Amino acid sequence: MVWLQRTVDGLLEAGPYALIGLGLTLGFGVMRRLNLAYGAGALLAAYLGSWMFTRLGLPAVWVWASVLVATVVVGLYIDLLCFAGTDPANAGLQRGQDTTVGLDARQVTALAASFALWMQLEQLAVNWQPSHVHPFPDVSATTEWTLGALSLRPDRLATFALTVVMVWGVARWIERSTIGLGLRAVSSQVAAAHLSGMRVQRLQRIGFALACLLSGIATCTVLSMDGQVTPMFGMWLLIKGLAVAMLAGLGAIRGVLVGAMVLGVLESHAQAAWGPLAREATAWALLLAALLWRARRSRTDRLGACLA
Amino acid sequence: MRDALCASEPGIGLVIQWVILAFLALSAWLVLRTGRISLGQQAYFGLGAYVAALITVTGQGTLPWALVGAMFCAGGVAGLVGWLVRHLSGLEYAMATLTLAELFRLGLSGMEWRVQRPDGQWVGPEGTQGFRQIRWLFEQQFSQQAYLALAGGLLLVALIALLQVERTRLGLAMQTVGLDPTLAQAQGVNVHRVRMWTQGVAGALAGLAGGLYAHQVTYVEPAIFDVMLGVHAVGYAMVGGLATPLGPLLGSGFDLGLLEATRLFEGWRMVIFGGLIALFLRWRPRGLLDEAALHRFTLLIHPRKRHDRTTLA
Repeated sequence: MVWLQRTVDGLLEAGPYALIGLGLTLGFGVMRRLNLAYGAGALLAAYLGSWMFTRLGLPAVWVWASVLVATVVVGLYIDLLCFAGTDPANAGLQRGQDTTVGLDARQVTALAASFALWMQLEQLAVNWQPSHVHPFPDVSATTEWTLGALSLRPDRLATFALTVVMVWGVARWIERSTIGLGLRAVSSQVAAAHLSGMRVQRLQRIGFALACLLSGIATCTVLSMDGQVTPMFGMWLLIKGLAVAMLAGLGAIRGVLVGAMVLGVLESHAQAAWGPLAREATAWALLLAALLWRARRSRTDRLGACLA
Repeated sequence: MRDALCASEPGIGLVIQWVILAFLALSAWLVLRTGRISLGQQAYFGLGAYVAALITVTGQGTLPWALVGAMFCAGGVAGLVGWLVRHLSGLEYAMATLTLAELFRLGLSGMEWRVQRPDGQWVGPEGTQGFRQIRWLFEQQFSQQAYLALAGGLLLVALIALLQVERTRLGLAMQTVGLDPTLAQAQGVNVHRVRMWTQGVAGALAGLAGGLYAHQVTYVEPAIFDVMLGVHAVGYAMVGGLATPLGPLLGSGFDLGLLEATRLFEGWRMVIFGGLIALFLRWRPRGLLDEAALHRFTLLIHPRKRHDRTTLA
C-alpha cells in the first residue's frame, strides 16, 4: 500500500510538472528555441509577486496577474537579446551550419546567450531581495481526502485537472488556430513561411511570449501550493520542464502529461529508496537518457532515409 | 573562498586565481573551436580538484603527481563523454554536457570516503560538506610566489602548445570541423575522432585547473562546481575571442581583473557580465579577438606581411 501511495503521489505531482513542461514544449519543441533563462525569468517574476504580496499587501489575484505580466516582459527581453533574428533561413546562408538535425550554429549561440541571461536574471533577483525564503500567497489545501487507504491532496487534484484542460487547450490552439498553424509552419520551414507572406518575426515573438506566459501560470500554480519562493526555484523549474519536454518527445503537446507522470512517479520512488539527492538526480538522469535516445532515434531515421 | 569566481585576496592570490580561470576558459575555448558549446566544463574542473586532493591528502602523494593524475583522470572522462555524446547535435550536446555536469555535482554531494591518516586525522571527501585539509602547499612550505611560478609556467606551456598545434594539420582539422563538419568529413577528416580528442584535451586542462584550485584554497565542496562556473568558462572564451588561445585569457582577465578585483560593480558583477556575454554573442559572436581583429593585430606587429601582400598585388 505504501508503494501505491507513493505512485499516486508521483502521479499527482505530474500536474505542476506538466504545466512547467508545457511552456518549454512550445518554446523548444515547437519553435526550436531553447531558452535556458526560462527558470530565471520565472524566478524574477516570482520575486516581484512576493514583493507585491509582502510589501504592498496585494491580494492573491493581483499578485498572480503581476507575475504573468512580468514573465512575458522578461521573456520579451530574453527574446530580443538571444533569439530575435536567429531563424535558420538566414543562418543557413552562413558557414557553421550543423546539418545533423537541421539545427545551426546561430541557434546554439542563442542557447549560450540565454545561458548567460540565466545568470544575469537570477543574480538580479537575489540582489533585489537577498533573503532566502520569500512568502507567496498560499492557497494550498489544509485537509486531505481519503480513498480507502490512500490519501489525496485536493489542491494537487485541482492542479492536475487544470493541467489537463490547459494541455488540451494549447494542443487544440496549435492545431487549429491561425497563429498556432503559423507557428508550426515557421518552425518547420521558415523560408517558405516568409515567402508565403507570413510575418515570421511577429509570429515567433507571439509564440515566445505565450511560452513565457505558460511559465508564469506554472509559477503561480506551484508557488501558491508551496506558499513561498527560494532562489533555487529557477533552476528547479528549468530542469523539471526540460525533463518533461524531452520525455514527452519534444513538440508533442499532449505527450507532456505522460512525460510529467513518468517523471513524478520515478522521482517519488527514487526519493523513497535513496533519499532527496536521488530525487534531484532522477530528473537530470531522465533528461540525459531522453537526449541520448533522441539522438540514437534521429540517427537511425537518417540512416533509414539514406538507405531508402 | 567558497566560489572559484570570487577574488578572495589581492596581489599574488588574485593572479593565481586568474591563471586557474584562464585554464578553465581555455578548456571551454578548445571545445568551442570544434563547433560545440560545452556547458559542463566545471565537472572536469571538479573532478580534477577531487582527484588531486585525494592523491595528496588521502594517498600522501606529491603535487606534481596529483596534477598529472587530475589531468589524466579528467581528460579520460572527458574523452569518454565525448565519445558517448558524439552523435548529438549542437543544442543537444550543450544540454547533455550541462546534464552530466549536474549529475556529477550531485554524485559528489553524496560521496563520502573518509580515511584515517597516520597522524590520526580523518580526511577525505564528506558529501556536501566538501573536502577539507588539502594542505600540501603549507606542509611543504610552498610559497605563493613559487605556486604562481608553477601555475603560470604550466599556463605558458599550454599556450605555446596550443599555438603550435594551431599551425599543424591537426589544428587545421579542428578549425575545419568547427566551421563546417560536413566539409571536413568530405576532406577525409574523422570529425568524431577530432572532437573526442579535443574534448579529452579540454577536460585535461580543466582537470589541471581544478587540481591547482583545490591546492590553492585548501578546501573544495560540490557547490563550487555549479552551472555558474560553466557559464563563466564559456563566457570568458566567447567574450575574449575564438580566433586565438589568447582570447580566453583576455576574457577571464576582463572579468576577474576589471569587474571583480576593482570592486567597481560590487554585487552586480554577474548581472553585468551575463548581459555582456549575451550582447557579445548577439553582435560580435566570435568575441573581441576574432579573426579580423587578429589579422589587424598581426599586420600591426609584422608590417612586412602587408608590404609583401601589396607587392604581390
